[in-house]
Amino acid sequence: MPLIRRDDPSPTDARTPRGAGSPLADLESPDIEMRWRAVRSIAPESKFVASLAAALERETAPRVREAIITALIRIGDQASAQALLPYLRAQDAGVRTAAIDALQAMPDATAPFMASLLGDADSDVRILATELVRNMPVDTATSLLVRLLDRETHPNVCGAAVEVMIELGTPDALPALRACAARFAGTPFLPFAISHAIARIARAAG
Amino acid sequence: MAAAENADRRRSVLIVDDSSLVRLYYHGALEKAGFAVEQAINGIEATEKVFAHNFDLLIVDINMPGMDGLSFVRDMRRRKEDIATLPILMITTEAGETDIVDARDAGVNYYLIKPVSEADLIRHVTALAGTPP
Amino acid sequence: MASHERQAEALITVTAEDVLRLCEFVYRRTGMLFDDSKRYYIDRRLTERMLATQSRSFQEYFANLRSDAEQEIEHLINAFTVNETYFYREDHQLRCMTSNLLDEVVSQKALDEVIRIWSLPCSTGEEPYSIAIWLMENWPAVDRHNIEIIGSDIDTRALAGAAEGVYGERALMRLSRAIRERYFRPLAAGSYQIDPGLRDSIRFTKVNLVDTPSMAEYRNIDIVFCRNVLIYFDDASRRLAAENIYDCLRPGGYICLGHSETMSRISALYRVCRFPDAIVYQKPEADNGSR
Repeated sequence: MPLIRRDDPSPTDARTPRGAGSPLADLESPDIEMRWRAVRSIAPESKFVASLAAALERETAPRVREAIITALIRIGDQASAQALLPYLRAQDAGVRTAAIDALQAMPDATAPFMASLLGDADSDVRILATELVRNMPVDTATSLLVRLLDRETHPNVCGAAVEVMIELGTPDALPALRACAARFAGTPFLPFAISHAIARIARAAG
Repeated sequence: MAAAENADRRRSVLIVDDSSLVRLYYHGALEKAGFAVEQAINGIEATEKVFAHNFDLLIVDINMPGMDGLSFVRDMRRRKEDIATLPILMITTEAGETDIVDARDAGVNYYLIKPVSEADLIRHVTALAGTPP
Repeated sequence: MASHERQAEALITVTAEDVLRLCEFVYRRTGMLFDDSKRYYIDRRLTERMLATQSRSFQEYFANLRSDAEQEIEHLINAFTVNETYFYREDHQLRCMTSNLLDEVVSQKALDEVIRIWSLPCSTGEEPYSIAIWLMENWPAVDRHNIEIIGSDIDTRALAGAAEGVYGERALMRLSRAIRERYFRPLAAGSYQIDPGLRDSIRFTKVNLVDTPSMAEYRNIDIVFCRNVLIYFDDASRRLAAENIYDCLRPGGYICLGHSETMSRISALYRVCRFPDAIVYQKPEADNGSR
């Protein structure tokens, strides 16, 4: 039979040796694999958030970046969320989506920042922030989005908010939705999105 | 395929966007204009569909969780010939100046800035995918 | 079904849009993706769960689901995945292995290097045994190579069952009579034991996907089958598992997920490989540097 069974692991199965220095030092190694191992060997404790955030700032290799983000998610405290916030503004679309994926994984840590993110000067940040609202309890989410719709001037941000409303909007949101539709009458997409949301919420209310 | 047969063939488009609302919006507009339309929620579903059907055009949103639009486009451009040369229309947001450079570098044929009107969508899709019968 | 259950079911109406909302939610939470061809199936499962939770409307059920009180998400995923294990489950991936993956694997290794295939989680062993049987039945090159198959799980009771190799009729339902006769012997009525030679050639070990040191003992794996487990994990655990598996794979090695699963943040770690029979994910042969 061609199947073999090896109960004593061969040397190639052995644990990969650690880097020469401590994990924190290896975070700065020029070698991708060294940095990868360093990040993964750091315990998920709050005291390491600053080092991980600094590493994230420098990191260019996608898989190491993901490992750093995993580490931050596992720590999952406010400091972690705070470390990730600047990446919502990154030039690179991949980095922005990495940051939002991470923040979505830690709704409790992100909650204190929501109001300010939804009011950020950068419309792209506001758009990303509406995604985070999905993970919040329905009432909080609806009231945050209603506040946003009442004052938002950018159609894409409204569109993103309306999209989230479709999943969890309550009838309380209907006035704000109608007002928004009126403000943006004749523009592409948004009237379509809002009428869809209104119909969905009205049907859901029974 | 003979030129005459090609002219009569319904053009088909794949919409790749994580927003079901946006997909619905484009789908309706494109179908009304005579295109055959399919949807994918992410780059992986899109990859599966691209290999399963012959599309004349992909419409890809730049901001998608999981596998962002540019990663997907780069991935497509690395594949075998007929897929590597598939026309791709990317939907971006206005603030993303580097996005547009990156999109061009990745091999996107054209980009449009959200929100996209139905008329603009049809005009550009027709230009890139061909006129439906 | 009892008549009061039939009445309850008749009262529940679920629209196509409700199903769409549900699928989007499940996709965002778990990475499971369902296409239109599965809609009727999802409808049935959703109705089941609504009855089970005594939800009077989709809205009520959906609110319950979103809050995940009483682990409804897990119950729903169980309903969707038909949480039942049997031989030759999702055999299109086994076909992909023998039609495509192994050719690639062999071309990347020295002639006498062992081919290492890992079933993780292996549950009660149906998957690793299926891999072994499939290889022997379908891979022409099977006798020219040494193949090591490992089955691992966090559940020691399941592992004990796997090591014993005794199965009922249901587990064998997809196997032809010829295969049953070749690889199993009947015990008491409706019960079969896997051939002892085959049974003893597979190593079963306890492993926790999210325990990095535990996973670190496995290296240079060529193919990992990790099906229908990541969908149950939260984001942090899913990412950690994906990273741990990455380190276990040889560069160029493959990971197969469950049929409806997609792995998030995939492109940073793995290449998406599309073969005729399946989509699988490949650890790159080398880093591409920063992009």
